[in-house]
Amino acid sequence: MEEFLWFKDITKQFGSTKAVDNVSLSIRKGEIFSLLGPSGCGKTTLLRMLAGFESPDKGKIILDGQDITDLAPNKRRVNTVFQNYALFPHMTVWENIAFGLKLLKRPKDEIKREVDRMLNMIQMQDHAYKKPSQISGGQKQRTAIARALILKPSVLLLDEPLAALDLKLRQRMLLELSLIHDEVGVTFIYVTHDQGEAMSISDRIAVMNNGRIEQIGTPAEVYEAPKSSFVAAFIGDTNFFDGKISEVLDDEYCRITVPDLPPMLCFNDKKLAKGELVHLSIRPEKFQISLDEPKLGPKYNVLPGVVEDVVYQGDHTRFWVEVGDDWRISISRQHTRFVLDEKPIQWKDKVYVSWFADDGFMLERYREEDEDLLQTPPQTVGEVEEAQDRDSSTQDLAVNETGD
Amino acid sequence: MGKKSIRNLWAEGSLTTPSFAWLFIFLLLPMLIILAIALKPADPTGGIGQGWTLKTLMSLRNPNYPEVIFRTLWLSVTTTAITLALATPIAYYIARSTPWKRDLVLFLTVIPFWTSFLIRIFAWKVVLHPDGLLKQALVWCHLISPDTLLLYRPEAVLLVMVYTELPFAILPLYAAAEKFDFSLVEAAMDLGAGRLRAFLSVFVPGIWNGLVSACLMVLIPCIGSYVIPDVVGGKGAAMLGNVIAQRTFTDRNLPAASALAAVLTIVMLLPLFYFLRRNKGGDEGPRPAKEVV
Amino acid sequence: MIKKSKVPGVLTWGTLLFFYLPIFLLILNSFNNSRTGGGWGGFTFQWYVKLFQTREIWHALQNTLIVAFVSTLASIVIGTTAAIALHRYKGRLQNMHYFLVYTPLVVPEILLGISLLLFFVALKVELGIGTVIIAHITFCLSYVTMAVLSRLQDFDMAILEAARDLGANTWTMTWQVLIPNILPGIVAGGLLAFTLSVDDFVISFFVAGPGATTLPIHIYSMIRRGSMPLINALSTVLLAVTFLAILIYQIINRRKAGATS
Repeated sequence: MEEFLWFKDITKQFGSTKAVDNVSLSIRKGEIFSLLGPSGCGKTTLLRMLAGFESPDKGKIILDGQDITDLAPNKRRVNTVFQNYALFPHMTVWENIAFGLKLLKRPKDEIKREVDRMLNMIQMQDHAYKKPSQISGGQKQRTAIARALILKPSVLLLDEPLAALDLKLRQRMLLELSLIHDEVGVTFIYVTHDQGEAMSISDRIAVMNNGRIEQIGTPAEVYEAPKSSFVAAFIGDTNFFDGKISEVLDDEYCRITVPDLPPMLCFNDKKLAKGELVHLSIRPEKFQISLDEPKLGPKYNVLPGVVEDVVYQGDHTRFWVEVGDDWRISISRQHTRFVLDEKPIQWKDKVYVSWFADDGFMLERYREEDEDLLQTPPQTVGEVEEAQDRDSSTQDLAVNETGD
Repeated sequence: MGKKSIRNLWAEGSLTTPSFAWLFIFLLLPMLIILAIALKPADPTGGIGQGWTLKTLMSLRNPNYPEVIFRTLWLSVTTTAITLALATPIAYYIARSTPWKRDLVLFLTVIPFWTSFLIRIFAWKVVLHPDGLLKQALVWCHLISPDTLLLYRPEAVLLVMVYTELPFAILPLYAAAEKFDFSLVEAAMDLGAGRLRAFLSVFVPGIWNGLVSACLMVLIPCIGSYVIPDVVGGKGAAMLGNVIAQRTFTDRNLPAASALAAVLTIVMLLPLFYFLRRNKGGDEGPRPAKEVV
Repeated sequence: MIKKSKVPGVLTWGTLLFFYLPIFLLILNSFNNSRTGGGWGGFTFQWYVKLFQTREIWHALQNTLIVAFVSTLASIVIGTTAAIALHRYKGRLQNMHYFLVYTPLVVPEILLGISLLLFFVALKVELGIGTVIIAHITFCLSYVTMAVLSRLQDFDMAILEAARDLGANTWTMTWQVLIPNILPGIVAGGLLAFTLSVDDFVISFFVAGPGATTLPIHIYSMIRRGSMPLINALSTVLLAVTFLAILIYQIINRRKAGATS
């Protein structure tokens, strides 16, 4: 009975495609739990089964010890904040929020008290008598949350709640959402395709792909210790080297050879054997870059390279460095000091790229069909060129750039 | 799972049955009955006789009928051609106008939808009347001789059909023109096309689906015209609809009327199938008989 | 700057003139003392006086309104359920259903009229106001269905899920959320059905018995009998009523649009 919300062996098929493929998942009371993945990964289907809009082909959903798998949506203590808010356009903000309580036939003064309390919480007292078409996106968002929370659900489902808002508003609403969560203490299940949102709001994240869960963990766990190439590439940016284990040194480390590069030292947590083909994933910020050859301990890897591109981004600079014949590495360097005082690293400079062996991660090769999912479309002209450039000059170095 | 789908089926059934049953009984069955009754003998009292006969179908070989069918077709096709030729530049104009002017023109185009069909036809009878204003004006200008008759001739039918059908063509064409990207016309002119050339080779293909649906919306009701040739057409301008009405109300021969109705159905289905085959997958919306203003 | 052609503009305004000139002449003639309308015989109200003394017209108007009200109400109910069914469900049954609903929109009126007449005669149903109402419901319901369907297509179905999610059962979801939101479509479809019913001549002419003369049928017989000045007056009255209705509808619509935007 310690499970609060439990998805047990859930499978759901639409036609011939398995939207959700044998997923089991346990969610704790009071946490903010994110389902993160590209569109079509099954996260929304999972959410809709919990809300009661779809029923699973196989498996059970158990909430607080009660099997709710076949319960109608209006009988569940689960409420949803819909992607486009789904506010009732013919009702005012006040009426929208009061809707659920009115259906429960609560006394008038109680409804009024509760709605006012909610309006107060979302700071919409001044807009109570406006129609949804007369308020802003952020206000609609808050109204939708209040409308769902007034019923005091056991679980609040949020389906891409910030997708329709612009970037600035999205950041503010994320903060507001966590404040609301702190205040009401309800379990939040948050569905998103945006890793930034998921990282900043969640206690735990389930990364989904092709109807399966790839990894469950805290934001730091999924970022720092991804269990698969998909997770490594989907959450944040990473560099992949395609190689083969040439030597197992001791219990802890191994050496990987990558075509036309010197052998690299890597932490062997998975105890892989010699001869296995792997992806070596290294996050851009784990690299150091310097003009002079660094003097580092034995557990460091150092590669000489040539700077191909420098993109100054205020708080950090992104370097594209070519190593060996064909490999391009994305490196991000934080500006912890006054940048203008330093000798700048420029285009075509010869540099040394180094990283600590424990910062590299060996992962299985990702499936080819995932490659499209990992490439989020570039947003600016500069990035388009950058992306094309990258495509033409790299072979197996998959670099994923998600807006950070 | 099973319980749910049975409930679903019940919901679908209860929502579908009223309209489905109604249209099945009062639309589909009567349409099919046309064919059956064409094989029945006439009853001298105006009803339907007993037994079966081929006599009615044989009577379709009446030498007058080919002429009527031909007249029906040429009047309908000519009306459609004139209507589309007028409506296309009008749609172009409306789509390119400022919002204020666009609303005004659309409003003025839509009003005739709401006014009585009979009254609009009758208004033309007044204008074309031998003592009417138009006749007097034309005689005064020496364009026609005083004994020319404007009314009761096929041309009068043509004129009034264009008049009543024009709004039906303008609205779907405007709906298509509204979605058209007018920078294409500018691109064509930039590349050296003249105004007319740009209109014909860029705008017209761009609204092709709208043209097809407008064409059907005008052509089919024209083929089934009855009131217009009856009021302004007279004997020499009778169309299929008039002959059907004559068999029904004057001769009281319902089997003959239904045989003709079957002929009309076939004549009407011909262009429909022609367009549907040519325009497979193209969208032709329902005839918006009266758009809501 | 490319100079715009004047041709489409001239054509458009010329066509609008073509639309309104006959109607304008008709209105003018209704105040003309000359019987034939050939020349201006002086201003008169006599045709209107005669019109209001004609008892058959009042009787025909009464029939028309009865038919219009009954068939509008019935087609609103049947048409709305049809639209919801067509929008919510897919499959063979609904394809057939859509075909049935669509047919009256493309079939010429005379075919609908003659086929229903044959149907009633074959079943020995007595022609009268009842058969006219049945015929009107048959074509009006298609227009209501289309109007409601287009409204449903703009409607975010997640709103219904939101209602369920907040505890509504099917009944409350339908009446408190769905119907209020598609009401504009229902109203538009109803108005359309009403005007089509009031205006319909061809179908009514075929299925009306001798007793069930509607206003368009009466106008038609007046046109045949040739009492032109009286029809001028009647037409003017009807046109005035139509314009007034459009005006009121526009004002209501504008005010509503102003309140929500």
